[in-house]
Amino acid sequence: MEQVFSAGVPIRCAVEGDPAAADGAPPVLLLHGFGSNQEMNWVRTGWPAALEGRATIAPDLRGHGGSGKPYEDDAYTPERIADDVVHVLDAVGAKRVDVVGYSMGSRNAWELALRHPARVRRLVLAGFGPKDPFAGADLHALERDGSPFGKLYRVAGTLPGNDLDAMAACARGQASRPFTPEPVPDAPILFAAGERDTVAEDVEELAERCGAEVVRVPDRDHVTAVSARALKEAVLDFLAVEEPAGSSGS
Amino acid sequence: MTDTTERTFTLPDLGEGLVEATVLEWLAAPGDEIARNAPLVELETTKSAVEIPSPHGGTVARLHAAEGDVVQVGEPLVTFVVEAPAGGAGAQSGIVGRVPAEEEPPRRRVRLRPPQE
Repeated sequence: MEQVFSAGVPIRCAVEGDPAAADGAPPVLLLHGFGSNQEMNWVRTGWPAALEGRATIAPDLRGHGGSGKPYEDDAYTPERIADDVVHVLDAVGAKRVDVVGYSMGSRNAWELALRHPARVRRLVLAGFGPKDPFAGADLHALERDGSPFGKLYRVAGTLPGNDLDAMAACARGQASRPFTPEPVPDAPILFAAGERDTVAEDVEELAERCGAEVVRVPDRDHVTAVSARALKEAVLDFLAVEEPAGSSGS
Repeated sequence: MTDTTERTFTLPDLGEGLVEATVLEWLAAPGDEIARNAPLVELETTKSAVEIPSPHGGTVARLHAAEGDVVQVGEPLVTFVVEAPAGGAGAQSGIVGRVPAEEEPPRRRVRLRPPQE
């Protein structure tokens, strides 16, 4: 799709189907993880085929893929990214969506659901947990940081099109607003992660506070859970559930 | 009677400068009928996970790697039994002047114009 401009930052977005259609299930908004992009996180892992029949909206988050890459840390706070997403939803005529986030995409999906509850019908937070993903990282010296996040940063930095300085600014902007499990968004939530995903450590505790289910994919870690058939099936089941009568379009 | 032929799919270049991948999970088993572009196998590279769609429609004959195996680019992944192109050139089809087997005819029957000279 054409680019959407939000606060001067161009946001490239892939759109399949008609997200403005008034009938049928709402479109699915896909929010990728840190250092990735919509193509790598969703397309190459087989999500378009799994979601066939649903309209999908998959932006490259700012700092990533074909979207603008500002260098200011505060350009990357969760509220700025949620604002980008709302701009995209408005531009494609999507009033209300089901959201599927992965990793950092889940952090920002949570923010979107809190700030714009009317836009979110259901929320899937995959590859995500309550622990600080930047724990132990020196976000001002990521090029030689030995923490798990530092390693992830350097691997992501070798991917075509990624800009290390913009990614570091993104990490600092996200870290400036640590995740808190209160308040909880109104939308029904599903948590999903690989059984060996260290980023999703303790997600069961978070899910319990939210009154939500957790799906764990056996033998998968943070990188390999995203393509798993078991993950897709759990998400599809969760998103297929009909709403109680009278609650639609609120 | 329909002529069939075998086609072996080798690990394609997945980009990112990577030369190998690990099989995470097969999404089809020997004996399965599979449509072209249906999910075939999940692979892990050092940087990401990918789902590879089937390059052929046909029957899965043999898998050449088990889950957890590391496969090099160009090594065989899976062999299919596919219908030979009409005209029955058998195993030699696809060598000269044939539509490659990947180019399955569209499902909807449409009259195609012959190629312009």
